[in-house]
Amino acid sequence: MGRYVVRRLIQAIPVLLGATLFIFAIVFALPGDPIAALAGEKRQDPNIVNILREQYHLNDPLLLQYWYYISGIFLRGDFGRTFAGVPVSELMAGKFQITLNLALTALVLEAVVGILLGLWAALRRGKAIDTIILASTLLLISVPPLVTGFVLQLWLGVWLKQQVGVEIFPIAGITAGFKAYLLPGFVLAGSSIAYLTRLTRTSLVETLRSDYIRTATAKGLSRRRVIGRHGLRNALIPLVTYLGADLGTLMGGAVITETIFNIPGIGLQIYQGVYLREQPIVVGIVTILVLVYILANLVVDLLYAVLDPRIRYE
Amino acid sequence: MRKATTDTLPAEGGLGNEPLLAVEDLHVEFHTRPGIVRAVNGVSYSLNPGETLAVLGESGSGKSVTAQAIMGILDMPPARVPKGEIRFRGTDLLKLSDEARTQVRGQRIAMIFQDALSALNPVFTVGWQISEMFRVHRGMNKRDSVKKAIELMDRVRIPAARQRVNDYPHQFSGGMRQRIMIAMSIALDPEVLIADEPTTALDVTVQAQIMELLAELQRESNMGMILITHDLGVVADVADKIAVMYGGRIVENAPVHDIYASPAHPYTKGLLESIPRVDLKGQDLYAIKGLPPNLLDMPTGCAFHPRCPYRQDNCVTDTPPLYEISGTRGSACHYWREVLDGDQG
Repeated sequence: MGRYVVRRLIQAIPVLLGATLFIFAIVFALPGDPIAALAGEKRQDPNIVNILREQYHLNDPLLLQYWYYISGIFLRGDFGRTFAGVPVSELMAGKFQITLNLALTALVLEAVVGILLGLWAALRRGKAIDTIILASTLLLISVPPLVTGFVLQLWLGVWLKQQVGVEIFPIAGITAGFKAYLLPGFVLAGSSIAYLTRLTRTSLVETLRSDYIRTATAKGLSRRRVIGRHGLRNALIPLVTYLGADLGTLMGGAVITETIFNIPGIGLQIYQGVYLREQPIVVGIVTILVLVYILANLVVDLLYAVLDPRIRYE
Repeated sequence: MRKATTDTLPAEGGLGNEPLLAVEDLHVEFHTRPGIVRAVNGVSYSLNPGETLAVLGESGSGKSVTAQAIMGILDMPPARVPKGEIRFRGTDLLKLSDEARTQVRGQRIAMIFQDALSALNPVFTVGWQISEMFRVHRGMNKRDSVKKAIELMDRVRIPAARQRVNDYPHQFSGGMRQRIMIAMSIALDPEVLIADEPTTALDVTVQAQIMELLAELQRESNMGMILITHDLGVVADVADKIAVMYGGRIVENAPVHDIYASPAHPYTKGLLESIPRVDLKGQDLYAIKGLPPNLLDMPTGCAFHPRCPYRQDNCVTDTPPLYEISGTRGSACHYWREVLDGDQG
């Protein structure tokens, strides 16, 4: 087990390097000059420009620039500075927490709503409610978060507030605390909820067809126990895998949601970073996201062995 | 339309004249997209305490479906029981409420299945699965129920039961897994044990051990056993009587020695002749011609007529009833006399 974890972490290194190099190269290839962008329309002193270019290694070739950057992260824990001189790690610290809050809200919403709807559909397979749930998931999958975001903002944020007179779902920002995350959390989780609902339904339906479910029934157990203990315990295994891997996806997907709801997390930050060619910001955030992704998947794989005794790692 | 149900559980104690379990004119059909599949068409058999009834037949003959109907583990829908009775100690199980049925299942009528690997839950230890019977049905605590599970594992002769009680099903061999299954089924001393092809998935040597174990457990507890199989070899040593099924009906029933000595139905005869024999080594193995009937499109008259060497014209049109040959024997063949005489029509 310990050796397995170590091996997985070692395997993560090339993944991390590859992903960061890829992003680094893409931002490098973007047209436009970040130093020129600093001054907007004004003329710049060529000397200062040159000093800045030296300072940020902008005159060096791509691979060398990448080396300066990545060695800074791994050897000194230094994510570099923005072109305005702010350390990137400082910039990310608070924002990362905000995005994590948003992603976790989305993940909890996804798990609760998705699994419950999936179970409901599975237990009423072929009935009207099953069809309704399946149709709704299709709708949720087909409509992009850009649309659900604005529509829900209008309905639940504006219209509902007008009707009840109290703000239940804030339209934007995070000043309202926890409840500010609910609406964006739902929008972010949208298609994931739909996929999880379908996965849960399929998984439970399949499990309930197994021989050991028939055995459990033949043991004289109540239907509740047959489904709740014997069925659910097995049906949950693929769901945990999906949920764990989805945490990374949700954090990455926060870009659109955070922009719609004006949430100052890393999603909004990465958007601005790309816009301003702030290479250190973009690559820094991506590095963290890749790390989250890799760790989440590792945890899922370890959890898998806990849930399914047939799987052993050595 | 719902049938009237009752909560009265089958009585315990003496039986009087009533057999322990009596299936009477049972019909089971499955409503599927291509049509109604009539899997069981008027099956009747009975079982007494300490008795072993072997139900013989190929896949699709309705032998397992009958057993599942007795257990009440058919999925309804698509399955339906339009007609028939399953009397357990005089009480028709089909008229019991779901609640009362659950009380009978597992505790008084238990079942073991063919493939123990898939029939045991992969994510729970064998000890947990056996002891669950005591926790759920007897309200025992965890420690006592696990102790009981170890006792049972000893009883079905699993070596080092105490060390293995926390192992998972996949960590056992096929024969040991079937022993676990058996331990679980006899946990609450059921009065009837249904064994649905308990040895089909096992090696021949292990098969014999499992059958021996079942026979021994039965002697100890005097339970009635229904042994479902397609293997005549398995039956001879343990069964008291045999019911041969074909196309959802019983085509012959008889005490075990009568069947081996002189089958009274052409299908039984064909089955017996297709057993490999040492003294006929080198000769071609006999096989019944043709294929089992399509349950969606059953042949008219006797379902066996397309494959039957004794066929006459009326076999195609008249469905033979189960003719009574003697008090304990019956054959659903118009020409059972000719079959008994061994005269190939």
